[in-house]
Amino acid sequence: MNLKELYQEIILEHGKNPRNLRKTENFNKDAKGKNPLCGDNVHIYLKLNENKKVEDISFEGSGCAISMASASIMTDLVKGKNEFEVREIIEDFLSMIKKNPELKSKNLKEDDKTKLMCLSGVKQYPMRVKCATLSWHTLVSAIENKKKKVNTES
Amino acid sequence: MNIDTIKKEFPIFDEKIQNNDLVYLDSANSSQKPKVVIDRINEFYTKQFSNVGRSVHYLAVAATNLYENTRTSVQTYINAKDKNEIVFTKGATEALNLVANTLGQKYLKEGDEILLTELEHHSNYVPWHYLRKSKNIKINFAEINEDGEVPIENIEKKITSKTKIIGISHLSNVTGAILPIKEITELAHSKGIIVVVDGCQGAPHLKLDMQDLDCDFYAISCHKMYGPTGLGILYGKKKWLEELPPYQGGGGMIKEVKKDRITYGDLPNKYEAGTMATAQVIAFDQSIKFLESVGIENIIKHEKELIEYGQEILRKNNSVKLIGKPKNKGGVLSFTIEGVHPHDIATILDEDGVAIRAGHHCCQILHDKLEISASARASIGVYNNKEDFDQLNESINKCKKIFELK
Repeated sequence: MNLKELYQEIILEHGKNPRNLRKTENFNKDAKGKNPLCGDNVHIYLKLNENKKVEDISFEGSGCAISMASASIMTDLVKGKNEFEVREIIEDFLSMIKKNPELKSKNLKEDDKTKLMCLSGVKQYPMRVKCATLSWHTLVSAIENKKKKVNTES
Repeated sequence: MNIDTIKKEFPIFDEKIQNNDLVYLDSANSSQKPKVVIDRINEFYTKQFSNVGRSVHYLAVAATNLYENTRTSVQTYINAKDKNEIVFTKGATEALNLVANTLGQKYLKEGDEILLTELEHHSNYVPWHYLRKSKNIKINFAEINEDGEVPIENIEKKITSKTKIIGISHLSNVTGAILPIKEITELAHSKGIIVVVDGCQGAPHLKLDMQDLDCDFYAISCHKMYGPTGLGILYGKKKWLEELPPYQGGGGMIKEVKKDRITYGDLPNKYEAGTMATAQVIAFDQSIKFLESVGIENIIKHEKELIEYGQEILRKNNSVKLIGKPKNKGGVLSFTIEGVHPHDIATILDEDGVAIRAGHHCCQILHDKLEISASARASIGVYNNKEDFDQLNESINKCKKIFELK
């Protein structure tokens, strides 16, 4: 176990000053996610334009440094991407957190990959994986406009 | 009382946890087990095992006697009037579900009210919540004050002519407040209200005297009392246990089963359907013996000093905010650190071998009231000492350093 790997500077910085922590005006898709065991919650607001491109994305919620940083980094890097690219990035990220040693997505720039890899420290902390993945699962739900809340325990 | 000697009775403290000495501050969640309890489970399975209450062979009779011995020990320990007022369950949660379910079946009517408090654990709320729909029962909540207590006036305020049951914790698992059960019961009984006590945190830390408290039901979690998991106890006044219907049906709880009718067994069998947690019950006798050997008065004194020490040391630590300051407080210290989420605190503390709990501790209503989503909680047992709180404080400082707090 290595705390330095878990709490890298980028994580702490994003955790303290999360990007896109607000509510998108005129959002057309949204979803709520909750981690009932620890009380973390996130509400993602998405504005897709007619070409299914992410015009804006934001989130509201509260949680630990890992979950806030993850939502912050995620919302930053999916902006401007189309739905297909976003889905591919989500899948790549979740696979990396689960098992893959690295990110493979061609839709991610190198420095985006570096940022996301900062979250890979949770791999050593099984109880904290869901902190890192909550906002990502919630984004999937928002894209699909599912009304059911994402719940990390179900 | 020598804590070092007591600590030696718990084998887990000989273990290195990720290369650290274990600083176990999660006893409100579950306590560690003394060697006598662990050994007793092994011994029973190795040399004495049989199911209880059914067969006539030697082992079955001997096991039945051992099982019933624990019931007698529990009766004595909690000063219940009658041995049959002790019902074994799979946990305190099941004990509270049993009470809510059977009172719901037989005693409650549409429009009746149940009064709980804002600091109840989910296990003393959710079982009652079921009755909202099935019986159209209303649930009210007595408020906590700013110190994290529920004074008796706050309970009295919420009692109406429709209040039939008061469900209360003996000791809050978040603020540590000890509720005046005896006074609340006196008040409740003067108005014909039943009192159901969630004793999960009370039982390991306080002197238990059912006849003195006079409550109608008291739920106990054995694994928080230095006992095995999978076991709880429901104390219920005999008149209630006799009057209320059975909770679960199955073997062991019946008198006669015919195609057209079934009659139920006498107490306590009526409430102990199926094969019970036999080894756990038998081993729990050792937990009672352990508690008796240390002495509850000694435990109370030791834990009071320790919690006062912990409070003092954390109060001095900038950025740490203690939750609640009840005048009468048991072995729980909940806190937050401005700028560090409780889960991050718990992960960082864990790196030093300091085991605490982070989250809402199954008390979402209380956390909503406090307007926080989660808190960190250090809770103690008989084996903790001042060094544990020193280490807690040191590890909290490490958190602050990582998160660049002053």
